[in-house]
Amino acid sequence: MEGVITFFSSQQVMKAEKFLKKNGYKTLLIPGPREISPNCGVALCFDFKKKDEIKKLFDEKNFVYEDFHYYPEAKKISKWL
Amino acid sequence: MKKNIYYFDNSATTWPKPECVLNNLKYFLNEIGGSPGRSGHRMSIAASRLIEETRETVGKFFNYDDTSRIIFTKNITESLNICIFSLLKAGDHVITTNSEHNSVMRPLRFLEKKGLKITIVKCNRFGELDIHDIKNSIVKNTKMVILTHASNVIGTILPIEEIANLTFKKNIPFVIDCAQTAGSVPIGINLGKYKNCIIAFTGHKAMLGPTGTGGLCIGKDVSLKPLVFGGTGSKSDEDTQPNFLPDSLESGTMNVLGLAALKASVNYLLKMGVDKIREHEKNLITRFIEEASKIKRIELYGTKEAEKQASLISFNLKNLSPSAAGLILDKKYSIMCRIGLHCNPNAHKVIGTFPNGTIRFSFSYFNNLKQIDYAIEKIKEISRIE
Repeated sequence: MEGVITFFSSQQVMKAEKFLKKNGYKTLLIPGPREISPNCGVALCFDFKKKDEIKKLFDEKNFVYEDFHYYPEAKKISKWL
Repeated sequence: MKKNIYYFDNSATTWPKPECVLNNLKYFLNEIGGSPGRSGHRMSIAASRLIEETRETVGKFFNYDDTSRIIFTKNITESLNICIFSLLKAGDHVITTNSEHNSVMRPLRFLEKKGLKITIVKCNRFGELDIHDIKNSIVKNTKMVILTHASNVIGTILPIEEIANLTFKKNIPFVIDCAQTAGSVPIGINLGKYKNCIIAFTGHKAMLGPTGTGGLCIGKDVSLKPLVFGGTGSKSDEDTQPNFLPDSLESGTMNVLGLAALKASVNYLLKMGVDKIREHEKNLITRFIEEASKIKRIELYGTKEAEKQASLISFNLKNLSPSAAGLILDKKYSIMCRIGLHCNPNAHKVIGTFPNGTIRFSFSYFNNLKQIDYAIEKIKEISRIE
C-alpha cells in the first residue's frame, strides 16, 4: 500500500472509501500526510499498482479527489502497525 | 463504553462525557420532547423551561445572571461569526493575534476583502502576548478586539482580564474565544463589570456537553445583530425579526436535545468546580512535559509550564512525520491524538511547524496519570523507529 489519495473534504474520502471497499479494493484511512497535501485531515492508502484502474473508476463516477501520490513512507509505517 | 482507548484529543471534542449527560439526552427524548417557545401545551412549555434552566446553569458557570443575554448557537464558530459579522464592516478596524483559529481568521479575512482593516498582534514563539502591542494598535475606528483565551496549537493562555480592562476603558467590544478554556481553565471575566466583553463558548469540549451546542454571554454594552433570521416563536404577528434578546439571535427550532445534555454537563462542572478540574489537568500536563522532555528525539512547543498552558501540548518527533506518528499511535497503541495544522496555519508559522504541523495531545478531567505514563512510553517507543 504505497499509494495515497488525497481529497479536499472528508466527505469525499468517506464516499471513496466505501466505494473502493464495496468493489473489493484494500484500503486504509490514515491521517493526511501534510508533506504531500495540506488539505483534509484523512487520506486513503491504496495499492499503488492499482492506481490507473482506481483513477479510471473515480473519473467514471465523477468522484472528486485532489491527487494520487506515491508515498513509500506508508510501507515503512505499515511495518510498525 | 469503549475499553482500552487512550483518548487525548479533548481539544477537538471531549470524550468520554459524564453519565449525567447521557441520562439527560434520554430524559429529554422520553419525557420532554416538545418544541420550546412554540406551542402552549405542557410538553412545549417543559422544553421552554428546560432551555431557561440551561441558560441559568450556564449563567451560573460564567458568573452572569442576565439570562436574556446568554444565547445558544450550534457551536463556537457560529458564535464568533455572529460577533464578527454583527460588529464589523468595511472601513472598520479590528485587532486580533497570530494565535487565532480559522473560526476567527476566515470571517475576518472575508471582511478584509470588503474593506475591513486588520491588525494582527504578534505573540512570540511561546504564544505569549505583550499587552502593550494591543494598546498601541488601537486607533480611532477600532471596533473590536477579538482573541483566543488559549492557543489551540500550543495552549498558551493569554491575559484576557488585562485586555478586558484596557478595552473597557476605551469602550471597544472585546470578544473572547474560550473554545479551549471554558470548563477547564477559570475564565475570570466579570461581565457585570466588563460590559464591553463577550464570552464565546462551545459546549462539546471542556464543558463536557454534546456536539451541536455553543453560545455567547453578551455584556450589556454590546448590541449584536442576527446572522440567521426566521421563526422565534415570539412576535408571530410580525414578519420582521424581533429586536430583543435572546430571540433576535436564536431563529429556528433550537437544539433542545443538546441543551438538555449541556445543562447536565455544566451542572456537573459546577458541582466539581473548575479549580479542581484545572488542578487535575495541570498535573497531567506537568507529568507529560517532564517525561516527554526526556525523550531524545522530541521537540516540545509552547511555554512548557503547566501554569501558563491550557490542557494541551504540541510536539514533533525528529524521526517521524506527524501523520505517521498519529497513525501508529492509533492503530498500534489505541492512542487518539490530533496531528496536522489544527485549523490554525498562523500559529504553526510562528513556531516553525508549517506546513507539516505537530502532534497535539489534549487532556480532560477523565484522563489520569497512568494514561499519561502509557502515552509517554509509547511515544518513546515510536521515537526509536528508524
